[in-house]
Amino acid sequence: MIRKEAISAVVEKIGNQHIISANGFISRDLFEICDKNSNFYMIGSMGLASSIGLGLALKNTKKKIFVFDGDGNILMNLGSLTTIGMTEPKNLVHVIFDNSSHESTGGQPTATNKIQLSKIAKSTNYKVFQVKTKNQLAKIFQKIKLIPGPIMIIVKIEKSRVVSKRINIEPIKIKNRFMNSLKK
Amino acid sequence: MKELTQKQIFDYLFNNGIENFVGVPDSTMKHFVERGFKKNKILITTREEEAIGIAVGMSLSQSNSLVFMQNAGFANSLSTITSLVQLYQIPIIFLISWRGFLKNDAPEHTKIGKIQPKLLQALSLQSKILSEKNWKVSCDWALKLIKEKKPCTLILKRDFLD
Repeated sequence: MIRKEAISAVVEKIGNQHIISANGFISRDLFEICDKNSNFYMIGSMGLASSIGLGLALKNTKKKIFVFDGDGNILMNLGSLTTIGMTEPKNLVHVIFDNSSHESTGGQPTATNKIQLSKIAKSTNYKVFQVKTKNQLAKIFQKIKLIPGPIMIIVKIEKSRVVSKRINIEPIKIKNRFMNSLKK
Repeated sequence: MKELTQKQIFDYLFNNGIENFVGVPDSTMKHFVERGFKKNKILITTREEEAIGIAVGMSLSQSNSLVFMQNAGFANSLSTITSLVQLYQIPIIFLISWRGFLKNDAPEHTKIGKIQPKLLQALSLQSKILSEKNWKVSCDWALKLIKEKKPCTLILKRDFLD
């Protein structure tokens, strides 16, 4: 799968639940595939999607919070894994779209082709799953319905040149509509 | 600042609607943080940017947060403040300790202590310096600003050497 296919497949399973998406192509793909009020596009502050997701998960314990992260993004904030592991939010699902590269900035390599993110996450109290195909993805999303978080799903994806359009919604509007969707 | 005043500041903010205290501690504010721990309201993070991210998530959930840090951490956080907090207009109170305020503080604090007021100004991040006399007025000012959905900063001077 390429990133856009993988995001599309995950979104299909998530429905209208809340998503915090990392900056760069991940947010752009999500916006193009399926723009919703319940998507929070983090267009700057690289690395912090999982931290925003943690704050949301701790305050909305009856809702499931999904974080769409990239390998480059999470490598910038590995400390977040320890804080998530320490606070153990049962409702946090952390999806990492991992192509071992900084695709948004030209495909430069990241360390995940040599370092196993799954091992790091396991040691910080995550339940970790790794998938490569749409079938595996579907099975895992079925399975995690019954498992308390924090959960990490590492989706191994291929590099691609498919680029989605930029997000053309004002940041304050992204925030306001997301906050309204949380009230429901 | 005196131990008692720091504890009073914590209680005052907590009793006036600040529900979460997230950050990286500094000895300048240790009594403030200690008070928060007693009330089970403190979350210590690995870095200051991470604390801001968590506070943003909480703020999006209509739960007000204060993020505490040393000014070294404030320097770490500049991009997060501009590209997350200010970009989305997220109401957060920052509590920043002013290391390097005294000329003979440890050398690593000299430069950042000197440029801290200019940095705040350059960011257009409104701030007030806490004192034994004005702390309540300053806290009221900060509480009013976050009600107006504006981020702001309270500064705690490092007024002792160790």
